[in-house]
Amino acid sequence: MKWLPVAFLVALAVYPLVFTQPFPQHVVIMALLFAALGTAWNILGGLAGQVSFGHALYFGVGAYTTAWFYKAFGLSALVTWPVALAISTLAAVAVGLPTFRLRGHYFVLASVFIMQAVYIVVSNWGALGAAIGLELPVHRPTGALDALWHLQFHLSKLPFYYGALALFVATLAAFEWIRRSRLGLLFVALREEEDAARSLGVDTMRHKLLALIVSAAFTTLCGMFYAQYVLYVEPVSTTSLTISVEIAFIAIFGGVGLLWGPTLGAFVIIPLTELLRAYLSGHIGLGLSGTRGSGIMATLNYLAAGGGGQVDILLYGLLIVLIARFQPRGVLGFFRKLD
Amino acid sequence: MPALLEVRGLTRRFGGVFANHDVSFDVAEGSIVGLIGPNGAGKTTVFNLITGFLAPDLGEVRFEGRDITGKRPDVLSRRGIARTFQILRPFPRLTVEENVMVGPIARGESMSAARSRAHRCLELVGIAHKAGDLARGLSTGQRKRLEMARAMATEPRLLLLDEITGGVDQPSIPALIALVGKLRDEGATLLVIEHNMRVIMELAEKVVFLHLGKKVAEGPPQEIARHPKVVELYLGSQHA
Repeated sequence: MKWLPVAFLVALAVYPLVFTQPFPQHVVIMALLFAALGTAWNILGGLAGQVSFGHALYFGVGAYTTAWFYKAFGLSALVTWPVALAISTLAAVAVGLPTFRLRGHYFVLASVFIMQAVYIVVSNWGALGAAIGLELPVHRPTGALDALWHLQFHLSKLPFYYGALALFVATLAAFEWIRRSRLGLLFVALREEEDAARSLGVDTMRHKLLALIVSAAFTTLCGMFYAQYVLYVEPVSTTSLTISVEIAFIAIFGGVGLLWGPTLGAFVIIPLTELLRAYLSGHIGLGLSGTRGSGIMATLNYLAAGGGGQVDILLYGLLIVLIARFQPRGVLGFFRKLD
Repeated sequence: MPALLEVRGLTRRFGGVFANHDVSFDVAEGSIVGLIGPNGAGKTTVFNLITGFLAPDLGEVRFEGRDITGKRPDVLSRRGIARTFQILRPFPRLTVEENVMVGPIARGESMSAARSRAHRCLELVGIAHKAGDLARGLSTGQRKRLEMARAMATEPRLLLLDEITGGVDQPSIPALIALVGKLRDEGATLLVIEHNMRVIMELAEKVVFLHLGKKVAEGPPQEIARHPKVVELYLGSQHA
């Protein structure tokens, strides 16, 4: 099985050269983005054992920082990323200091409440475009260098595809490097038995904060990528509880704490939702006609057409029931009898 | 010179109940002190107050002559106080070796230094052959040894052992008693909670007897064993 990850990465590298149409490329770009998000979440949730349903906060920090600086000053994400990471770190400390005193379910609940509060603030913050959000001005590149500075590529998805791939591989490498390091051992110790870890000299607050800061940093980079890819940032698709749950669910579905867990989760769930959405809204030709009649297909059609991603939630509900019933350790749990 | 550990007037309430009420005693450097008493006497609360898992309402804990009351467990660990837990708390999905490496690594040792220290500690407690196994596969007796190895790897000056023989079958007890002696020979001063009076008689140089949160008696084990309250509680009042 050692060759499987290598084969997977090679397949990813050549995929867009084989599938040259925009839609198949878009599906894998989104899968790579969410694989990176799930893997970043896994640093905190999987290694350090702190299950957060608030990671869209850091995704939003990346997305909004990128959009705001580009819109206001024309500054490229190539120079604003340190600002985004600084804000992300401050936010992580502000969230972590009070909530890491809570344990288990209480921490999870606190992360939900903070996420909702942030969503409400962003939805009403005039400078960030409130509920309407921010559009990044479209720029027509005059050449390759100009396109790179503005990070705007309109003729091909390839730059975004390989950008997403790089982001994904970097996050995966960071996760594995931490897991094997001295820091990773202390993270896992505090996940497994917090009091025992404390009795052995592990400053658990400091290590939870460290795990969150690193996890948030990669999540922020994903948010920056997203803003640049979509050129439009608004609260529902960035700083919402739905996105937070999606990030956590992808990791939980695939296998918490396992290197390839979130990747598996993302590559199952994201194509499913993207295809389902396209199928139900008739964009790939097989859709049912209109919203005639009643019954389940009409309802699904309605959700797909009007809800803007409501189908995802239906699908998540179904998958949560299935995974909780058959393999609470996540899909990778099927392949690992002991761990 | 002051004793290694000085406990002064420790009082801790949970709601209206005194878990500890004005408890004082000393633990001299290099000694083995036993802490005994029936269930609910407040023994584990004393451990939690000394190791920083709880803060006392009143009273003071002094270690090496300095006030350590209310300091965090991880800070006290680095100062040289280690403990084991009554309800054993191995890191189940780490290997036995990794379990023992956590302490040294938290103190800043390198992976290889931590690994060799872990190996020495596992040999000391006699489970070096289990180093590569996941901790959750160990028996109760092996888990107790693992907790001792894990604590010893932090190079404690004071080691608090909660229930050495609890949940262990009779034939294994002599080896565990011998092991506690070995830990002392390694340089640790020991404060030990133990239910089994015979074990305490054999191990401890001094015994502190708690009942309903208060210290009832303190002294050499033979003397404590004859104390009327101890006889009543351990053997039934008809023997008193």
